[in-house]
Formats: sequence, C-alpha cells, structure tokens
Amino acid sequence: MTLPDYDPLPLTVSDLSLERGGIPLISGLSLRVEPGEALVLLGRNGVGKTTLLRALSGVLRPVSGDIRYGDTPAIKSAPAICAFLGHDNALKPDESPRQSLAFWAALSGRSADIPGAMASMGLKALADRPSRRLSQGQKRRAALARILVQNRPVWLLDEPAAPLDGEGREKLSATVTAHRARGGLVIAATHQALDWPDARVQELTR
Amino acid sequence: MRAGAIFLREARLAFAGGGGPAAPAAFFIASLTLVPLAIGQSPATLQAAGPGVICFAALLAVLQGAERLFGEDVVDGTLEAYGLSGLPLSVVAIAKVLGSVLATLWPLPLVGLGGGIAFGLPVEAAGMLALALAAAIPGLAFLVAIAAALSAGARRGGLVIALIAAPLAIPLMVFTASAGRAADIGNAAASANLLLTCAVSLFLTALSPFAISAALKARLE
Repeated sequence: MTLPDYDPLPLTVSDLSLERGGIPLISGLSLRVEPGEALVLLGRNGVGKTTLLRALSGVLRPVSGDIRYGDTPAIKSAPAICAFLGHDNALKPDESPRQSLAFWAALSGRSADIPGAMASMGLKALADRPSRRLSQGQKRRAALARILVQNRPVWLLDEPAAPLDGEGREKLSATVTAHRARGGLVIAATHQALDWPDARVQELTR
Repeated sequence: MRAGAIFLREARLAFAGGGGPAAPAAFFIASLTLVPLAIGQSPATLQAAGPGVICFAALLAVLQGAERLFGEDVVDGTLEAYGLSGLPLSVVAIAKVLGSVLATLWPLPLVGLGGGIAFGLPVEAAGMLALALAAAIPGLAFLVAIAAALSAGARRGGLVIALIAAPLAIPLMVFTASAGRAADIGNAAASANLLLTCAVSLFLTALSPFAISAALKARLE
C-alpha cells in the first residue's frame, strides 16, 4: 500500500528565543526546513534540543520569535500536522503494538498502513506481545511505528535511535528516507550521529 | 469518530490492566461490610445511617481508581501525544472519563441497592438511593477527574486527589444521601433531592471537561 504525497509545508523559524523553567536556552535561532528535507539537531545534554522540539510542536510558547508551517503559526497548525516522538514511548503495558497502532491510526483520522508500519520497523513477530514484555529497543520501534501510522507531514523525533540496535537504525533511516520522498519533513534531536543520507545538521550551542 | 477511539481504548485498558469494575465494586462492598462492625448492629442505627454511609463509601470507591486516570498518561508520554492529536483536550477528557466510568463504575448503584436493603431500608427507599447514586456517579467521576488532572504525575497524587475532590463533592453527597433518607421515612422530598442530584451532576459533567483541559494543558507546558 502506497500513501499519497503530503501537501508541501516548509518550516520557518525566525529569531526564536526559548527558555525552560526561567533559564534561557536558545536565543536568536533562525532556520528553514523545506519539504523533503531532514534536519538533525546536535548538541550536548541540556543545550535545549528537547525544548526546541517542543516549541516546534506548538506545545511550548516561545519567549520571542516566530515558528510557522507554511503561513500558519505552529501553535495553531502543529497539532494537525506534527507527529511527535518524545523520550517516552506512549505505550501502555497491557496493549500490544497491533492494538496500540490501530488506536493511534483511528485517532489521527488519516488513512494508515498498519501492517506496512509494523513491517518497516521489524515488529511483525512482536505484533501481539503486550508491550510490558518488549525490550527497550523493541518499545522504541513500536513508538516509531506509531509515528508512521499517524501519517503526518512533520516528524519531530527526540533521540529516535537511542535504544535501537544496528538493524533498527537502518530501518529508521529507511523509513525517514521514504517519508522525505513523500514530501515530509523530519527534525530529529540527538547527541549521537545519525547516518541519514544527506540530512542537514544544525549544531546547537549555548 | 475520533474521540470514540479514545473512549473504546480507555474501556479496553480498564479491563486489561485494572480488572474493569472489580476493584471499585469490591472496595465498595468491603467498606459497607465493615460498617456494622464499627457502628453496631442495632437495626435502627443501621437503617438511619445507611443512606449516608453508602454515599460516602461510593465516593471512596470512585476516588479509588482516580490516580490512574491521567497519572499514567503523563508518565508514559501518552498525554503528550494526545496534546498533538488535533482533538481539543476537553474532548479527550470527556472520552477518557466516560470510557473509564462506564467500564468500571457501573456496578456501584447495584451495590448501593443491595447495601440499602442489607442495612434495613425498605425496597423503595433502597431503590431511590440506587437511582440517586446512578445520577451522582457521572458528576462525582468528572469532579474526581479534575483533581486527578491537577495532580497528574505528582508523587502521592492519590492523597492530593482526595484533598481536592472531597470538599467539592459535598453537594452531591448531601442530595444523594437525602434522597435515600427521605424515601426511607416516606417524605415527599425524596424526588426533589433526586432531581437536585441530577442537576448538580449534570452541571459538573458539563463544566469539568474545560477545567480538566486547562489542568492538562498546564501539565504539558
């Protein structure tokens, strides 16, 4: 099953300043991500990568500056177009990946390819195992499969590869490539290198 | 409908991990069983105390599962994903509370009916009490859900929930117990109290989702 391309929606960040708990983290950041591009945010612990992703998801209000998808401010548009993978996997211990993915697909209200998402994250054999019996890496794969079935143009991924093994990283890289080929955006925060082909890297410093 | 997915998931999870209606019903029955041991077996005392004690025990049974309602969603990252689901958080709250209430709290009016009869109320009075409980439980559940949303993810959340919700539950407690008591002594105020219970419960059900949404939003930022 192939899904149609997304409407092209560039991300524009202009002169953005953010703080977390009263501590200024990011100031004067400007960047632009075009449809089909991937941006990897690098930086040491505590530099504000997660805070920036949360601002891009419209949850956190910037101190100053502007975040837009297309022409609409993120606070308005992000909930309908972003799929957010946080530190936590949003899995329920008594739910299997299959049940969980069916739920998130129904909630997102867009067409989704659940078997395809499970196959592309290598979850076929684990589809009916309750997630309390999955390893950390397997849970991360299930969470990434949720991002896939949500079928949204903007992916915001916080340390997506941290607990993944080599095979999992390759699968992640392949799904990111496929998402970009449909005109999707990927913004990932990480402190380790991600071997994604021609991804732009933005170093965050204090 | 997209909110229906949350409703069904909540009901399913209540059975998968929480034993569905078993825990609140067992808690309710256990506390009612202890009452005669504490206040004495005199039929007159039990009959007089029955409606009040049964309402109070029902409130405790509703409070019993409250910590799980939003606490787990905050800790495991689900709330973050709900925040970006495109649905308003107030709709998420309605679907979650209704899903868990219908899955877990439906036996409480039945236990109230049996408890009323066991405490020596006439069947009509016990029936009135059960009706009033059925009317009060949605309101109680939404009220408790506000407290659960305010304390979600906090340590010792259960204690905070009880401290916030108990004072706010006073009107519902008064009207529900009064409906049972008035029916017991054959007073015409029983149906008036039942209607007041319905009114307060509807009021809480209609307004709580906005309070819950504000509390969850503050938790997300």
